[in-house]
Amino acid sequence: MKTTLIAALLLAAPLPALADKLDDLKEAGTARIAIGNEPPFTAIGADGKVSGAAPDVARAVFAALGVADLEASILDYGAMIPSLQAGRVDAITAGLFMKPERCDAVAYSEPILCDAEALLLPKGNPKGFKSYADFANDPEARLGAPGGGTEEKLALDAGVPRDRLVVVPDAQSGLKMVQDGRIDAYSLPVLSLNDLLAKSGDASLEVVAPVQGAPVYCDGAAFNKRDTALRDAFDVELAKLKESGEFARIIEPYGFSAEAAISTNREALCAQQ
Amino acid sequence: MEWDWEFAASIMPQLLAGFRITLIATALGAVVAAVLGLVFAILRRSRNRILSRGTGFVVEFIRGTPLLVQLYFIFYVLPDLGIRLPALTAGVIGMGLHYATYASEVYRGGIEAVSRGQWEAAKATNLNARQTWIHIILPQAVPPMIPAMANYLLAMFKETPLLSAITVLELMNQARSVANSSYRYVEPMTLVGVMFLIVSVISVVGLRWLERRYGGVGK
Repeated sequence: MKTTLIAALLLAAPLPALADKLDDLKEAGTARIAIGNEPPFTAIGADGKVSGAAPDVARAVFAALGVADLEASILDYGAMIPSLQAGRVDAITAGLFMKPERCDAVAYSEPILCDAEALLLPKGNPKGFKSYADFANDPEARLGAPGGGTEEKLALDAGVPRDRLVVVPDAQSGLKMVQDGRIDAYSLPVLSLNDLLAKSGDASLEVVAPVQGAPVYCDGAAFNKRDTALRDAFDVELAKLKESGEFARIIEPYGFSAEAAISTNREALCAQQ
Repeated sequence: MEWDWEFAASIMPQLLAGFRITLIATALGAVVAAVLGLVFAILRRSRNRILSRGTGFVVEFIRGTPLLVQLYFIFYVLPDLGIRLPALTAGVIGMGLHYATYASEVYRGGIEAVSRGQWEAAKATNLNARQTWIHIILPQAVPPMIPAMANYLLAMFKETPLLSAITVLELMNQARSVANSSYRYVEPMTLVGVMFLIVSVISVVGLRWLERRYGGVGK
């Protein structure tokens, strides 16, 4: 009896405080978001301004909700969900693709940005890499990917052993490591690698896309599981944004397809292995 | 926040694999630091002005810049000059070089503590420089240095997580990779702390013993 009472108290206690999360954000005037500094998903300009498709959509939706400002922190992909759970950020808007285990850990909005996976490697693809399984089968091949990212998981699932799967801290390091020959290829979503390659201006590299056998993923804004009310409010405004065509005007200049995000939904993406 | 024993047990093999790398990096780094440190210390005492000043400058330069910056330099900048070291080698060299400068100061202190009379006696008995160092100076200078050296070894051991910045899959990096895919920090980080603590506690006991054995003044 006593334990049930305690359990009931524990369950009930946090709810009233968190139900008005949106009011808290409105009062503060800023929402804290996690980003990855991986253009075109997320970017920080030379002037320190946060841009990229994901924060731009989030800014538009939060503005419609009455939260004027965004405060971004750059985090490792793997550290984003723990930070959200620990209450260090209010939302993740970073191109963190929906996957079943992530959907279990956070409350995703409806899909926002969709992209396939790609490989950055020396021009002409001398070793003929087409899929993650190719890296598993070649005992010498070394693949780089961000720690805790979708690519790392796909590569591990394809059988690439841990010691040949190099955890690369950021995109610039990944590019440098391919140039230096430390890794045979670096894997990120297509648009990220295209952006990285264009900025580097390195004619000795190329992007192979899409990676065979890797599905197309979509991200959404991710919220703490306790903040589903905020997530639902976000979804309502996001739907309006998609409806009005404003959504396409924000993300298409970055190279993303608005149609891809509109034609699918959270349930389908969360079920996709 | 709750502790999950089953999860903790399931990640142990991965963490132990990282711990092995941590221990290897520490051991190799210590060898590099001990040998290079002695070289620095002796060169710094050289009668050739250019050699001693030059070494002094290099030591102060390395001692005065952060280890993390040096690691980035060795790993990401040296390849531009055509030197491409594997991650672990780069890490061992970086840590070894950095701690060699500290070790050289310890050596210097130990060498300077050998009384002038010993040098004069060596000269009087017609020993050459090599014989003087090997048979007279170092045997007296090294034992008092051992506790201080062991202290730096312990400090270096605790700095190995910095190697995760240059993609060495040591203990800290393995723990982060666990947290990256499980979204749990409690178990991996606690276990990392416990593993470091176990080695540190054992080392402290060993240090006490070394101090009693060698550290006593005028024993």
